[in-house]
Amino acid sequence: MNKIEAKNVDVYYGAKQALFDINMDIEANKVTALIGPSGCGKSTFLRCLNRMNDVIDICKVSGVVKINDYDINQKDTDVVRLREKVGMIFQKPNPFPKTIYENISYGPEIHGIAQSKSEMDNIVEESLRKAALWEEVKDRIHEPGTGLSGGQQQRLCIARTISIKPEVILMDEPCSALDPIATAQIEELIDELRKEHTIIIVTHSMSQAARVSQNTGFFHLGKLIEVGSTDKIFKNPTQQQTQDYITGRFG
Amino acid sequence: MNKEERLIKRYKAEKRFQFYGKAAIFMALLFLLVFLTKIFSTGYTAFQKTWLVIPVNYNADLLYLDPDKKPTTEDINDADFYEFGIETFISLDPDASEDQIMELKKMFAFTFERELKYYLLDNLDSFGKTVDVKLTASDDLDQVFKGNYPRDIPENRRRASDYQLKIFDKLNEDGRVISEFNASFFTNADSREAELAGIASSFMGSLFSILVCLSIAFPVALLAAVYLEEFAPKNRFTDFIEVNINNLAAVPSIVFGLLGLGVLLAVFGLPRSTPLVGGITLSLMTLPTIIIAARASLKAVPPSIREAALAMGASRMQTTIHHTVPLALPGTLSGTIIGLAQALGETAPLILIGMVAFVNTIPGTPMDPAASLPVQIYIWAESAERGFVEKVSACIMVLLFFLIFMNLGAQLIRHKFEKKWN
Repeated sequence: MNKIEAKNVDVYYGAKQALFDINMDIEANKVTALIGPSGCGKSTFLRCLNRMNDVIDICKVSGVVKINDYDINQKDTDVVRLREKVGMIFQKPNPFPKTIYENISYGPEIHGIAQSKSEMDNIVEESLRKAALWEEVKDRIHEPGTGLSGGQQQRLCIARTISIKPEVILMDEPCSALDPIATAQIEELIDELRKEHTIIIVTHSMSQAARVSQNTGFFHLGKLIEVGSTDKIFKNPTQQQTQDYITGRFG
Repeated sequence: MNKEERLIKRYKAEKRFQFYGKAAIFMALLFLLVFLTKIFSTGYTAFQKTWLVIPVNYNADLLYLDPDKKPTTEDINDADFYEFGIETFISLDPDASEDQIMELKKMFAFTFERELKYYLLDNLDSFGKTVDVKLTASDDLDQVFKGNYPRDIPENRRRASDYQLKIFDKLNEDGRVISEFNASFFTNADSREAELAGIASSFMGSLFSILVCLSIAFPVALLAAVYLEEFAPKNRFTDFIEVNINNLAAVPSIVFGLLGLGVLLAVFGLPRSTPLVGGITLSLMTLPTIIIAARASLKAVPPSIREAALAMGASRMQTTIHHTVPLALPGTLSGTIIGLAQALGETAPLILIGMVAFVNTIPGTPMDPAASLPVQIYIWAESAERGFVEKVSACIMVLLFFLIFMNLGAQLIRHKFEKKWN
């Protein structure tokens, strides 16, 4: 079953068109990687999926994006409920300048998920465990989240996102600011998370896409050139452009 | 020119450049030093007050009271201490002529009646005895004692006569002239007599004005800044508002005074000369300063924090209230304190709304007439009496103390509550 269906999505930044007629289906409980050279529109597409483009004044999105068969681009869509279902991890780790505990409890608090202090404690611990961070921070859970290392901060952000149990997690180059060891930890985590969540990850590293994803979409100059199983895209692409990019002839 | 010469020339140019910079700093510090030295050397004497200690005979006959009965508080309150005071002064020089008696009286502040009365009320057992009582010296003798008054100019050109100086010197030899900390400078309201004038009224006036100013300007400015920065669409209209806020910050303060006069007093009929009106007028002036500071601090909050909150499903209002505003608050608060410090030192708008009036009562609420510290400086600086010279400097010192104190507070808030993020 397709979790997300995008039909005829166009995005404009002012007069400049950033995405051209994107049609893409995303399968549930799989990792879908979006690859392509810089400025090709893959992050823009990702931000269409939880309407984060709303934040940018000059950005205009048209077309249909259906999540669970519901079009999220309608005027009366409640973005708060949408983003509760579709979480997001950013390129640079962006924990709140608060304690580790408060970072994670924030989501459940504003959505009224935990009824009591002990329930909240459980959510915090569970989220940190799922993000493979619990063992490292359990003794300093009330210290600032900004005091952690880059890789730990990114896992904290993942823990924060999964604390409200979103169905979909969007990741915008989550490892680009991390070292190889931290990257390996996050990649391992992504594979674990896909059991419960549908994951879409934008990445610059083709090897990462090959390692973590089941499906891959290749973007170039605002167009979706090719989409299919990761195996097929990397071993037997149908488009010449994809072939050229995969083999490193441009990009 | 070869390479070697070029190098030497470059080194010299660099040294010269640094020297200019150091010279500029030295100049600035020198100005500051001269300014502070002048104010402190003139003003520090205002914190001392000169008293004349004279023997007073609380004789029942002189007070027209019954000598055999201990007087009640009421009796003393009803008694005439003016004649009694004159009799007491005559005892300093029993041979004094009519004119000289008047001169004797002028050696003391006009409050001598009250001072004599209160001494007796506080020490009822002095009744019928001769005791030493401390009376406030006139401002002329006060200045003579502090050495601020030239004694060698011809008698007709100075206010303290030869006769007064003679009596004063005799008292001084007997150790009957004392100088003590001038508490009344802080507890008295303004007075026409320099030796009695204090800053209590203007201090309270300033305090109330600043409180009114803060309680109006801060919430309004914060809401305006948050709306403009976080919610308002960016279009021509908001650009127009932004330009006008910046213009408002550059409007001379006296214009705001005219506004206060024309609108608050004339249209709304608010009470003249009150800290309420002063505070509202000052808040109009402070508003753009705080808005600009708040917007700058809101802009400095990294967008990644907003995105993090929005992506967690926080609404825009929740994002703003939970994350953006708390992070922008330290910068906003220090901007607010700078704005208030400006308002505290403002004179022109207050003069227009009537806070320049002579107020000899201490205001208890913002609705009572009051002066303010900078206006008090202005009023005293206009006064002819020599005793006000040191008061002006002393008042400037008090004002400076508060300005420095507020600026330090702003620095402290900025350093202490500023959150660090990478």
